[in-house]
Amino acid sequence: MAKGRSLKGGGLLASVMLVAVACTSAASPSPSPAPSAAPSAAASASAAASPSGQNFSGVSVTVLTFTGPQIAEPLQRRAPDFAKLTGADIKVVTVPFNELYQKILTDIATGTNAYQAFVFDPQWMGDFVTPGYLEDLTDRVKSDPVLKWDDIGAFFRDFSATYQGKVYTIPLDGDFHMVYYRKDILDKDGVKPPATWDDYLAVAKQYSGKDLNGDGQPDYGSCISKKRGAQAYWWITSIAGPYIQAKGTNEGAFFTTDNMTPLVKNEAFARALDIYKESTKYGPPNESNLDVGDTRGLFTSGRCALSMDWGDIGTLAIDPATSKVQDKVGSIITPGAKQILDRSTMKLVPCDQTTCPNMGSDGVNHAPFAAYGGWSGAINAKADQKVKDAAYAFLAYMSAPEQSNVDVTIGKTGFNPYRTSQFSSTAEWVKAGMSEAAAKDYLGAIETSLKSPNMILDLRIPKTQEYQQVDLDKALAQFLAGELSRDETMSQVFDAWQSLTDSLGRDKQLEAYKNSLGVQR
Amino acid sequence: MWPALAVVLFLSIFPLVVSLYLSLSRLSFAKSGFEITFIGPTNYQTLLFGGERTHFIGVLKTPSPIGWAIFAVVVVLVGWAFTRAVRGGVRPLGLLLRAIGGLLLVGLIWLFVQAVFAPGGRPGTVFVTLIYVFIGLTIQYVLGLGLAMLATQRLPGRRFFRVVFLLPMMITPVGVGYMFQMLTDTSKGPFLPVFAALGMEGFTWVTDPWGARIAVMIGDIWQWTPFMFIVLLAALEGLDVEVTEAALVDGASRSQVFRYITLPALLPVSTTIVLIRMIEGFKIIDLPNILTNGGPGTATESMTLQAFIDWRTFNLGRSAATAYLLLILVTIVATAYVNLVRRRVTTTV
Amino acid sequence: MRNPFRRRSALDLSPGAKVLSYVLLLGWTFVVLFPIYWLAVTSLKLPIQVNSGPVFFPFIDFQPTLENWRYIFVDLRNDTVRPYINTVVVGLSSAIIALALGSSAAYALVRFHYRPRIGLIGLFAGCVLLAAVAIGLGAPWQIVVVSALGVFLILAQTIGRRFRGRGLGNSDIAFWLISQRMLPPVAVVIPLYVLFQRVGLLDTWWALIITYVATNLPIVVWLMRDYFSTVPVELEESAAVDGASPYRIFRSIVIPVAVPGLVATFLFVLVFAWNEYLLALFLSSANAQTLPITVAAQNATRGPQWWYMSVLIMIMIVPVILMAIALERYISRGILVGAVKG
Repeated sequence: MAKGRSLKGGGLLASVMLVAVACTSAASPSPSPAPSAAPSAAASASAAASPSGQNFSGVSVTVLTFTGPQIAEPLQRRAPDFAKLTGADIKVVTVPFNELYQKILTDIATGTNAYQAFVFDPQWMGDFVTPGYLEDLTDRVKSDPVLKWDDIGAFFRDFSATYQGKVYTIPLDGDFHMVYYRKDILDKDGVKPPATWDDYLAVAKQYSGKDLNGDGQPDYGSCISKKRGAQAYWWITSIAGPYIQAKGTNEGAFFTTDNMTPLVKNEAFARALDIYKESTKYGPPNESNLDVGDTRGLFTSGRCALSMDWGDIGTLAIDPATSKVQDKVGSIITPGAKQILDRSTMKLVPCDQTTCPNMGSDGVNHAPFAAYGGWSGAINAKADQKVKDAAYAFLAYMSAPEQSNVDVTIGKTGFNPYRTSQFSSTAEWVKAGMSEAAAKDYLGAIETSLKSPNMILDLRIPKTQEYQQVDLDKALAQFLAGELSRDETMSQVFDAWQSLTDSLGRDKQLEAYKNSLGVQR
Repeated sequence: MWPALAVVLFLSIFPLVVSLYLSLSRLSFAKSGFEITFIGPTNYQTLLFGGERTHFIGVLKTPSPIGWAIFAVVVVLVGWAFTRAVRGGVRPLGLLLRAIGGLLLVGLIWLFVQAVFAPGGRPGTVFVTLIYVFIGLTIQYVLGLGLAMLATQRLPGRRFFRVVFLLPMMITPVGVGYMFQMLTDTSKGPFLPVFAALGMEGFTWVTDPWGARIAVMIGDIWQWTPFMFIVLLAALEGLDVEVTEAALVDGASRSQVFRYITLPALLPVSTTIVLIRMIEGFKIIDLPNILTNGGPGTATESMTLQAFIDWRTFNLGRSAATAYLLLILVTIVATAYVNLVRRRVTTTV
Repeated sequence: MRNPFRRRSALDLSPGAKVLSYVLLLGWTFVVLFPIYWLAVTSLKLPIQVNSGPVFFPFIDFQPTLENWRYIFVDLRNDTVRPYINTVVVGLSSAIIALALGSSAAYALVRFHYRPRIGLIGLFAGCVLLAAVAIGLGAPWQIVVVSALGVFLILAQTIGRRFRGRGLGNSDIAFWLISQRMLPPVAVVIPLYVLFQRVGLLDTWWALIITYVATNLPIVVWLMRDYFSTVPVELEESAAVDGASPYRIFRSIVIPVAVPGLVATFLFVLVFAWNEYLLALFLSSANAQTLPITVAAQNATRGPQWWYMSVLIMIMIVPVILMAIALERYISRGILVGAVKG
């Protein structure tokens, strides 16, 4: 074949192909979901009005979240009700949980803006708020009679939903760690539920290898999901927390607020790593490869004496389809510590009134960790005004006590309590299948944690995911697998965090960290 | 011919160049969307010499005697091949290329024995990937060939076997990952009674580095042997039966027929599928990602998984750098393979 | 004429070898089927039955339930059916297009000798790149594509004729093709996302079909090249002497002979497109999502939902199995022998 001709032919064929592609794509409907803001009957769509008073007919909002049933289910279930009230068309689009962060950031950063609202992890706010991707909701929430902002737990209101003093998300869920124990067994043996992490290890040790569910097989003292790339980096914060943070949420548990020194290379973190590793001895043999779904399965099928988890076990344990431990579960605030890190010397010192101002009468400093912070709704700053109004109205409707107080009692919604009114009555919980005593116990543990002024806020600065999911998580897995010693683990995380902070700009990161904690400069 | 080239060209050049640029930069989010800052070879430096070195290449220690032996064998082989090339009158350019290739190979093996055959050493993602590829490839090929030979015999029911043997390939790799996670679970998986019967209740293969790697490889072999099987089966079916038949009638044994008739005829397609599986195998991600997330520690983490973990947290620069290093590694291995093996056995390269 | 009796005796196995063959075949059948059996029984279990230790046989050691199937088909309904349709459409069309384009390219590579010049290839690549960058920067893509092609044709006709590069051969083209599969998907997914976003094809079948065709073409070319090279060139030459056009030769002589290879290749690229995860995840969202994403999505905050996943995987493999059963007979000796005998 002649050289010139063959290539010319190639070019022509290519052009034919591309034209063919062009035609077909022109014929197919444009995927752009941005709706035209149809003129609305309601002239003023003030956020202060009740959703039923607003008219959003013709407005459609695409909400992105992960594939449920958790979180997505209540959104999908209530979207038609909301449409009846206001005429807004709410489309809930879901992607796999693990890819949600990527998907949202890619969508906004490339200017695709296919989604106008997100129900996501407020921990990601550091990445979203700084470049201005999210709509500021401060004025809307403060004057909204539907949302009842003040009913939302102070922590979720002032820290979780807020960044640099402005509100960017509407909480739909309350997430923090708690410890669950087999009430039936501990009560029978007269063992008190653990108050400190040392107690936790002692209880775990006592029940490790005992038969806990009556099948004659030995079971496990403690189940904590330690798989890599899963939840491990949150558990370690829950364990290290009470050794690191004592002076209230805005003290912060990840870095010092003066020069952003990582708090991962000191006696407190070393102690936490030791506890973390020792608890593995009392867990299932493959604990280092278990996901939280696995440990929940093990706990609810009666094979663990203790487990650390979010609020989910409380609702899962009452579901006969998943649980063999109905009414056998007790829940408590995550264990604390009687020692605290002195940040000037990086050594542990005993807790007293000055070092641990928030400790209980038993001398134990608790620092419950609001890991994940609870699924929250946010609005894309690039959406049309009318769409933003509709999206806000929908999120406020979802969070309003009328809806939310029911949803948090349903296991499959994945919503956990976050409003004060959700603790006042056990009625909804009893209706959902809990015994009166279990409901009191469960709500009590949640309330104690939620009211703690020393709750730990998740790390929420740009590149949070890289700090935690890449650097910390990898080192933890290597520590557990014996690839690194305790001190090597601390050094590795410390160095990785320092170099990441430096590469992103130490001052910028420090400012973001302080902003997330609400620290005034 | 040309339409195919145009499609591939159109969808490959752009990502290729963009990734190269990304690997030399850092991505951050900004008001206008995102910002790409050019930072030079920093990402590569981190992986090869900096903080990620032990993760990427491994922890290197003095090799054990076995390690030294392996290294010596490779050095001798490379030296022998090179002297042969010199005597064979290869042109200077060819000699230079061969020398570079040989040195790269020797260097790679040196790192390999230091990481794998050394007390206290630990292979990084590069060598874990190479282990997956070469062990997996060998077993898949041998199994696939054996099964294809059996399935071409005139046995009743062979159509059943043929369809059944294809099944694993048809399950989505993500699904295979979860399936093997279920199967390898030793607290509620189906093999629990087997382990219990052997008195190994506490046993778990996902906490031991080699146990976990083997679990990943078993999944990989389970899924991809069918690929070897179906291609070799089609090739075997394409052989002229009468040649085989004539040889058998003339008194040749089956092993002789296999050695002198079947195998040579299968060589061209064999080298092709080995090359394709090699290239695909280097990209292994779903199994280690789902089965162990790269754990215990970093024992099962492949290069693609490392790139994926960085990518998931929007460290696109380091992710692209890892991908590019993988590209270089695959190119070296594949070029060497094509030049050393494939050109010898086929005319259609 | 062949003698069926003699042939049979020569090719048949001895009884001992037959037994051994069966043992091996059945052994591997068990290895293949057990995990799939486990999926099937898991799809009939409640979470509690999965979590509290292994049970193996429905009705014997546990009470099966159709709850999971109900959830997938009744509760999820459209979230199962829509991805299902997408998967079928995208899988089949991309496999067919890739096979058509790829096998003709493979045949051309086997029978003709190409000597493309580096300069021209570079020119074409440069035009493609410029176009892509221009689209990336927000220029209307229709105009960009047309003008890039125009620029390429003009340059190729004028300066292009003067290029004096080292000639490349077929083997270089082939190797370049396969090398396009070496970069892992994580490295290409963001650029592709941006590309399709600018062209306005995100979340459509087209984005997935085009991507899968491009990623699968190299495999088709490589596999089919080997099958075509086993076709005796004499057949084609005699047809050419009889005055048949190259296209006719390809269609009525080469293709029938290469049917086993075509079928095997088709199955492979179909399966690949059917099961692809990462690219599908990014190039689609609500409308064009495929089933692998639905499977992966069953691992959420509550850990992997084995029971739902099992149902999804089961319904995902059924059509491919049916296709394999239907196509299996083409990978059989009779057709090929018949074809060669002409």
